[in-house]
Amino acid sequence: MLNNLFPTLARFRFSVQIVMLFVTVYGGALLGSYTVDRISQALPSLSCAYDKMTGDHCILIVTQHQLHHRVGAALAKAGDVALNVFIPTLMSVGVFFMFFFFLNKAFCGWVCPLGTVQEMIYKIGRRIGRPLKRFTPENVGRVRPAKWLMLLVLVLGLPTLAGMGTVANELGDPFCQVCPSRIATTLLTADTEQLAVHTGTGINLFLGALGNALFGFIIIAALAVRQPFCRICPLLSWNALFQKLSPMRLVKKESHEKCEKCGVCEKACPMDIHEIGTAFGSKAFHEDCTLCGRCAEYCPDDDVIQIKFFGFKLFGSSRDYYKARVKFETPEGQPKKRVIPILRAKENG
Amino acid sequence: MRILYSACLFAICTATASAAEPTAMAAHDHGAMMRSQSNIWTQLPLLKARMKGQDMAARKVIMQPQNIAADAIEAWPNDLDDANGHRSLTIGMGGAPLDKPASGGFQMLTAREEQDDAVRVASTVHYFGERGGKNPTTMFDQVKHELEIVPKPYPREHSRYRAKEDWQFSVRFKGQPLVGQKVVLETSNGSRSEFMTDALGVVLINVPDDFKPEEAQSKGESHGMRRGADLVLAVSHEDGGKRYLTAFNSNYGEDAFAKRDLALGIGFTLLGMLGAAPLLRNRKAAANKEENTNA
Repeated sequence: MLNNLFPTLARFRFSVQIVMLFVTVYGGALLGSYTVDRISQALPSLSCAYDKMTGDHCILIVTQHQLHHRVGAALAKAGDVALNVFIPTLMSVGVFFMFFFFLNKAFCGWVCPLGTVQEMIYKIGRRIGRPLKRFTPENVGRVRPAKWLMLLVLVLGLPTLAGMGTVANELGDPFCQVCPSRIATTLLTADTEQLAVHTGTGINLFLGALGNALFGFIIIAALAVRQPFCRICPLLSWNALFQKLSPMRLVKKESHEKCEKCGVCEKACPMDIHEIGTAFGSKAFHEDCTLCGRCAEYCPDDDVIQIKFFGFKLFGSSRDYYKARVKFETPEGQPKKRVIPILRAKENG
Repeated sequence: MRILYSACLFAICTATASAAEPTAMAAHDHGAMMRSQSNIWTQLPLLKARMKGQDMAARKVIMQPQNIAADAIEAWPNDLDDANGHRSLTIGMGGAPLDKPASGGFQMLTAREEQDDAVRVASTVHYFGERGGKNPTTMFDQVKHELEIVPKPYPREHSRYRAKEDWQFSVRFKGQPLVGQKVVLETSNGSRSEFMTDALGVVLINVPDDFKPEEAQSKGESHGMRRGADLVLAVSHEDGGKRYLTAFNSNYGEDAFAKRDLALGIGFTLLGMLGAAPLLRNRKAAANKEENTNA
């Protein structure tokens, strides 16, 4: 029964993503208006607080607010930093970790609504024959620091400085103001408020313009680039800080000689983590990994790559699974059939 | 001193109290007794929250009754199982300090003034931002006074009543819905409108867009929550020779699109899309290569 419903890990993951998309975007409407106040308010996914129907909030908005209103304000009063000032922040991180402990970065690959939206757009891109643009081993390193910069500057730095009064108050939650999930998820609830740029002050206008332009860029780029925003998402770096502390993890054999010549798992990785093909053991679980499991699905050898929880195998690569999988979809996500040929035919003249 | 103050308020109130029909409120001068604390925009009973202190962590909430002579403010917790949750807050000179109960979250607050043939109730909701609160629906469903106006639902965290939006309220008497009941809405911006409850005792309120341009305030904005104005809903009902008047007040903000520009937003979005467009170009060689691979 389950095998018929979910013949592949990808199908199972996509089903989870769709369910979580409804919970994170429409959860409040489905489960009750006040659900958002009661689940965690510290979800390790870009579940947007500006979405009036959301079922839960992302950890990043809570962190920005607490740094802005509590930590920053307390630091401004030198010597008046009391433990109870930091307790709310520690509570949020603690609640976040209670979730994160069990699923690790699967929150990125299985739960995040923006991740799901980008993946669906990429699938559309495959269907209409758009090219695949990948980061090579040479240039992927240039984009990876961006997620740390986003975390340090937009989530941690500016909100704290705003709380201290060093920078303008409008910089209290700057990441949220540029986060594409804010616009994407609110538009999914037919709410255009967040698409409208805030023109109250110059900073509002600047952040709004940047956020909208980034949203537009991501929507189109996702047709050709896998998970374009995930690569610079501060939640990816935030989650990376904790990924070694969870029993849910990606595990690769310590050595496997076929890996040198294969490289199929690298092609399957939506985050262009080339290290998955060349690294072994714990090093293969890279900071950019979202635990989507595609590398394990497309590894043609038995149990070379596995997703484990407390040491128990939840999913492992297998030759038979690989053979069945590539019949329908290439490692890059290109369906073997049913591509709408019109656009490609036009381009080829 | 506090007792004397309350006694004075009650005495003045008793002397000036009259019929409590909302439409007759302008002539009904309960407000005179607390003129020093009262907003003159309404004569309806209000419960206003005042924040004391700048520091968010140490901020105190003071509840101030206006246009009503009440001895205490009743605080109703969202956790009905909390034996210490329901408190009676004593009103001092500056108001009644509202402490945060263990359950946090939403608190319903009411103040009651009772005379021989008239009962007046002011009510409002205060939200303690910390997590841990229970779903307040059961708190709203709990019968607290004879005549009640209950939000259905109340704006949750990161939300508030805003101009042009529709919100529902239940109107009930002794726990039963009041059908076809007139509900009056007044705002501190000067609007006044009337609505009727439906067959379920529910009234749909359209929050008026009555902010004047010069009243749009940029100072004090905080993470999108712009400063606003006050609104109060009131309903009156007679039963058993008694006249009941209940009011529910809250604040509301400007229209969602105030200081926002949708056309500009769409423009910047299109600009971003244009920036990503080159990624979609399918070079012939690359396309042929991909075709061969797929084949």
